[in-house]
Amino acid sequence: MLSIASSELIQIFRNRLVLVTSLIMPVAVCVFFVRQHETFAAIGSLGYIAAIVIFTVAAFGLYTTAVTTLASRRQNLFLKRLRSTAVADSTILTGLLLPVAVLAVVQVTAILIALAVVTDGPDNVVLLVVAVLATLAMMTSLALATAGLTNSPEHAQVTTLPVSLGVIAVASWVGISSTENLAWLKRLLPGGAATELTMTAWNGGVAVTESLPLLAPTLAWVAIAVSLATRLFRWEPRR
Amino acid sequence: MSTTSVIEVDRLNLTYGDFHAVKDLSFEVRPGELYALLGTNGAGKTSTLETIEGHRTPTSGSVRVFGRNPQDRRAVRPRMGVMLQESGFSPDLTVRESVGLIGRLTRRTDDVDRVLDLVDLTDRARRKVSQLSGGEKRRLDFATAVWGTPELIFLDEPTTGLDISSRDAVWATVDRLRENGATIMLTTHYLEEAQQRADRIGLMHQGTFHREGTVAELTRTLPAVIRFSFPAGVPALPLPAVVDADGKAVVETFALQKDLHLLLRWAQEHAVELADLEAGPTRLDDVFRAISS
Repeated sequence: MLSIASSELIQIFRNRLVLVTSLIMPVAVCVFFVRQHETFAAIGSLGYIAAIVIFTVAAFGLYTTAVTTLASRRQNLFLKRLRSTAVADSTILTGLLLPVAVLAVVQVTAILIALAVVTDGPDNVVLLVVAVLATLAMMTSLALATAGLTNSPEHAQVTTLPVSLGVIAVASWVGISSTENLAWLKRLLPGGAATELTMTAWNGGVAVTESLPLLAPTLAWVAIAVSLATRLFRWEPRR
Repeated sequence: MSTTSVIEVDRLNLTYGDFHAVKDLSFEVRPGELYALLGTNGAGKTSTLETIEGHRTPTSGSVRVFGRNPQDRRAVRPRMGVMLQESGFSPDLTVRESVGLIGRLTRRTDDVDRVLDLVDLTDRARRKVSQLSGGEKRRLDFATAVWGTPELIFLDEPTTGLDISSRDAVWATVDRLRENGATIMLTTHYLEEAQQRADRIGLMHQGTFHREGTVAELTRTLPAVIRFSFPAGVPALPLPAVVDADGKAVVETFALQKDLHLLLRWAQEHAVELADLEAGPTRLDDVFRAISS
């Protein structure tokens, strides 16, 4: 698994297009949000900035890159090649996705630390970590499902838009308008509950026992995406 | 079926929707054999090969490799090397990285330098796969198949796109592996390769075996052929011949030596120059033409 992961990391750093979309672009957006944190805190709250930063990295750095990578490895038959060896399918997928996931964790951590330095920092760090991990898990499993519907890396530019723009829109909607109205809808939409959890972890003011149920919708999305992925994922290009 | 078979295929069927790609196919490959699976395009040989490799699940019937289900990768793959028909290497990795990665994942041990030397890619080791020629990619693929000297090697059109010297080098390596007891499962479009090297041949047509046997068994059923050109105005030929599209006389015979002697004596006696004379047993090509016509 680590051999696959390290070769994947090499490939990410050798491919400039992937490097720009997965690393530089999300970081640039996040730097903008952190620099302008007073403006965005006035629109929503600091917790909203934390949430939007997490979702920017998760949607573009993690989700889009993962879909593009899987589609590209399938298209050039690298997946088939890996499946001709002794390693299991789960090992192959873990190896391929590990570098993108680790890069996303590193990016989110760095940016949230930067946000914490320029502000007062989060109210509950542990809850924030849980929210980040749940969000990344959801986006990774959505990436596996989307990869099943994506024929090529070029096609990924289209197939990833609904989810990546969707979760950013939901995060902004929840972050700016909070969950006073239409709470159930906002929490059920992918990313809605995770955004609310992130905001309460950063802003505080809500008991942890009240916040934890917010994990349920996110984990449900993980389950839905994984079950879709097991049906949709293909290892070889269509003939 | 014998329990010592390396590969056992028993009443294999593969269907894709309405299309019945492989129909009730049964055969076995014994240890140390070079078995060539040949066939016209769309005959079902790639489907069959990919099922034996463990890439596909049979619709019905069974496939065993070393007595195991080929989809049991952990048990079967360390003992077999696979050369795919299309390379499937990442263009952004170097030759050295690709061989090292795929080699490690086979769970066999070997040395990258040794394997690169074996396929004459040592001077390409630092190049990215995207910079390789088609023939170099085939050799890279072959390198990963022979990594760690597996007991069973799948060669799916191994020499397509290779120049003569690379082709000879590939076969020299295969010969060495066979001396050490390796079993080879081959598909190729170069029929003379199969004719020269295969112990047995399975000739597929429309999803099933048209014929199966040794090269001699396959070609014995067809007549040998004598071809020649002759000038106008010669006396009547001593043998029944047909004139083909190029104006050459073609004689089909089950008694090549006798009929050839007859023809040559006739030519000698009448001082006839037989231009472009050739004579020989039926080639595998002719067996192929016979089934596809």
